[in-house]
Amino acid sequence: MSSRKKVLLKVIILGDSGVGKTSLMNQYVNKKFSASYKATIGADFLTKEVLVDDRLVTMQIWDTAGQERFQSLGVAFYRGADCCVLVYDVNNQKSFETLDSWRDEFLIQASPRDADSFPFVVIGNKIDVDDGKRQVPQKRAMAFCQSKGNLPYFETSAKEAINVEQAFEGISAVIARHALAQEEAEEYTGDFGASTIVDIGADSERDGCAC
Amino acid sequence: MPEEFTPPASPTASFYDLSEDDEDYSTITHTSTGRGVKLLYTKSKVYVHPTPSAKDNIPGFIALIQQKPPTGETPSTASSQVVSPSNLLLAWLPESALGSAYDTYVKVDLLDTSTPPKQTYLVPPPPISTGNSPLGSYSFSVPVSQIYSLLVRPPSLGWWWGSIVVNSRGGDSFPALFFHDSECASTIAQSKARTKNNFDPFGESGELFWGGDEVLRWLKRYVKVERSEVERTVYLVDPTKDDLLSFGQKPVVDSTAGRDKEVATASGSGGNDIAAAVMDPFTKAIKSARWTLLEKFAKVTQFSRQTASNLLDNPNLPPQVRKLLKNPDVISLQDDFDSARLYLARWAMGIAEQSEKERAKIVWKREDIMEMEDSAVGEFEILDIEAGNIRGDGDRRRVVDMNEWNSWWNKTSGRLEITVDEVKERIFHGGCDSAVRKEAWLFLLEVYPWDSTKDERAALMNSRRDEYVRLKGKWWDDLSRREGEGEAGEYWRDQKNRIEKDVHRTDRNIPIFAGEDTPHPDPDSQYSTIGTNVHLEQMKDMLLTYNEYNTTLGYVQGMSDLLAPIYAVFQDDAVAFWAFVGFMERMERNFLRDQSGMRAQLVTLDQLVMLMDPVLWKHLEKAESTNFFFFFRMILVWYKREFEWNDVLRLWESMWTNYLSGQFHLFVTLAVLERHRAVIMDHLQHFDEVLKYINELSGTIELNSTLIRAEALFYKFQRTVEASDRRNGFPSPGTATPMVRLTHRRTGSLAPSASGNSASAAKGKAADKDGPEITEPLRALLSRDIVRVEKKEPAEGEAGKGKTPVRE
Repeated sequence: MSSRKKVLLKVIILGDSGVGKTSLMNQYVNKKFSASYKATIGADFLTKEVLVDDRLVTMQIWDTAGQERFQSLGVAFYRGADCCVLVYDVNNQKSFETLDSWRDEFLIQASPRDADSFPFVVIGNKIDVDDGKRQVPQKRAMAFCQSKGNLPYFETSAKEAINVEQAFEGISAVIARHALAQEEAEEYTGDFGASTIVDIGADSERDGCAC
Repeated sequence: MPEEFTPPASPTASFYDLSEDDEDYSTITHTSTGRGVKLLYTKSKVYVHPTPSAKDNIPGFIALIQQKPPTGETPSTASSQVVSPSNLLLAWLPESALGSAYDTYVKVDLLDTSTPPKQTYLVPPPPISTGNSPLGSYSFSVPVSQIYSLLVRPPSLGWWWGSIVVNSRGGDSFPALFFHDSECASTIAQSKARTKNNFDPFGESGELFWGGDEVLRWLKRYVKVERSEVERTVYLVDPTKDDLLSFGQKPVVDSTAGRDKEVATASGSGGNDIAAAVMDPFTKAIKSARWTLLEKFAKVTQFSRQTASNLLDNPNLPPQVRKLLKNPDVISLQDDFDSARLYLARWAMGIAEQSEKERAKIVWKREDIMEMEDSAVGEFEILDIEAGNIRGDGDRRRVVDMNEWNSWWNKTSGRLEITVDEVKERIFHGGCDSAVRKEAWLFLLEVYPWDSTKDERAALMNSRRDEYVRLKGKWWDDLSRREGEGEAGEYWRDQKNRIEKDVHRTDRNIPIFAGEDTPHPDPDSQYSTIGTNVHLEQMKDMLLTYNEYNTTLGYVQGMSDLLAPIYAVFQDDAVAFWAFVGFMERMERNFLRDQSGMRAQLVTLDQLVMLMDPVLWKHLEKAESTNFFFFFRMILVWYKREFEWNDVLRLWESMWTNYLSGQFHLFVTLAVLERHRAVIMDHLQHFDEVLKYINELSGTIELNSTLIRAEALFYKFQRTVEASDRRNGFPSPGTATPMVRLTHRRTGSLAPSASGNSASAAKGKAADKDGPEITEPLRALLSRDIVRVEKKEPAEGEAGKGKTPVRE
């Protein structure tokens, strides 16, 4: 069974325009920050090799445009996602308030089989900015995450490389935990078919039999 | 030197002549022919590509051979170096035909060619052919005196092997010879030597050294070889004055001169006459197109005037072609040269296909055929050559400068004195220099009507300036929006924040947008600590004003990318604003909330690729990439993120002309895709791979060749549509069959089992049956009109009412 496990982990980053999605991805993968990233148009991804449960896997991190209307054509890259990262700017109240609709949007577009237990992670970015400008208290963010089913929550600064590594490790852990839960559930029900996201081997999926 | 040379102890040693005396060699008895000829120069690994499949490539040697002069002629001597061209043979022989002489060829290939050959090597004489050999055998040897011209195409990106086609004075073309330089021992050695000796890996023409250069050098030792001034690919051998004249003038596709005669000939009843008439347009009318066709035809089949006229007698002639040849409608088809060309190209492909099939019956396995179907075939190679012809016209691609621009306008009235089309043609091909842009763009972007006078334009601009101030005042003076509660205020402030965010990350590498020395006017802005500059502030104001001007759409991400170049050119907010409004007229559909405009363009692109390159389309389909989402960015902001700043200006003004199509940007997309076809076909199997690859093309795309290719693709598309229309109007459905079949041959004949997708197989079948379907979106690409958003989306601007409008 384990040999059929996915070797490619697909992570989708969503959130309002300008909250730092591209910066987070680049800081994590390339250890770089640039103040002059352009607004993302369309979609792009970066990959990084990570250890998950002592297995080397490739994390494919998808960065998307932040303006909502541009999501509607993006179904192609939502499909087969293993985790969705919701990012907001702690200095921007509005970007926090929209997290819920980003989550809904993802569930509609990606329509994962296990919508209830699908792994989401929330990241509050730009904590390097002056305290006086912070609009979303940590407490409030944590309360939100708790209410949505104990979503893991991280606060980061992509600019200063604060907590970025930890956040993505958290993402790996969440995926691994989810995978394990899926596996157990399958063993319990005796369902060994390629019916869950986790157990659809990357290779077999790519050969086109999983459509 | 002969004395120093010790022949190796091998059976071929008997072919070496150790004497310099020309008279000796004819006395040496060759095992098979009884005499030998001098092998002066040869080059190995020169291939004939009889079919599109690399498996069928035939390796051989190109050779310059000296034969014994016929008796009675004054014998030439080696010391005088005078050899009559009629005694020199240029030959191509397959490796397999050389037998025991093979070693000699290998040896001569490796000799130093920088000096005339000192040692005489004898080989069996190749059979002399002045015309083409019959179908099936490709070897030839032609007296140099019989060579009219060489068509020489050096290797280039996308066309890996350089090639040479030999045209005889009799009007025949021999198969294109492809120089596989990477396999050729002598070329590798010569190339290395050049790098080493001169630090100059480039050949005489300033281009990269390749095997064909050597062939020209050989010939130049004995005969005059003149490169045509106009057709840079044509080298004339011992040309007459007339030849030189005709190749020194501008190539004109002569569609009238030959026609009357052809039609007259065609009205004769003999089959051969008809065949000759069919051939005439492309041997006569062409100069520029000649290369296109001959090389292509030579590649797919041994095709020449002679074989064509013999075709009707050829038992292998497919019945469809025979029928076509006898159909009077085919003759009338030639009235349009272009259509005849297309028709002939298809016809040649049909012959190639037929002969492939004949052979397939005997030796080809199913896998071979499958591979051939899948391989990257010459459709685009034709295009390549066509693009070469477009490229050749340097004058047309000269940048429009102020002198030229001013010469088009009446000095006193300021009215245009040439046609709008002429202006557009110049800008489309040449682009503007930066001074011209400030004027020309206002016409291209429909701020000024083309037929206006100077005074009218001045008045117009005055009222536009007033209008800009008025629009700007609408939000500038409205405190309820700036500070007020409620949805309207909230929406407006959201838009303002969005604009600010985007402007601060738009083209900051361009000097006018780079500075941060001005304190930010709004202390609450997230950029207040960083600072701004006057141009960034102007950008924000213009975008907020557009948000006011087009309330149904508002500001959407990407617009800042579209405004920045326009503002940078004018550096006048009111002027730039109205130019931007003009640009947005055609770009508006890209930004609609439901993305219907983007979707429509991606669907059109899908259909365009399916029509123009079914093999590639099939591959993309397998890679789940026919959503063409990876072109989203290119289409949304018109390649703004793919090209350098100056290239963007050049590209946009070209596309603004609508000179060929109001949606020329889709042909640019196709040109980009096609340029990377081989990589995509060979290496990219999945959507994410394709997307990544295309995304990373950013900053690597060469603009000029892309524009040229896009133009060639447009013409090809146009011909395809015309051919389809003509076919649909064909009186006899029977005659239409072969052309229909050819068009989508590959799509149609791919085994459905290979794709495992029955829907696509059905699609292919449908195409097979009816020919390519020219859908409405495709046909619209022929129009020079831009696509405007007809109906504004209802209530989009009303914030807080949609599903998630707060975020917009």
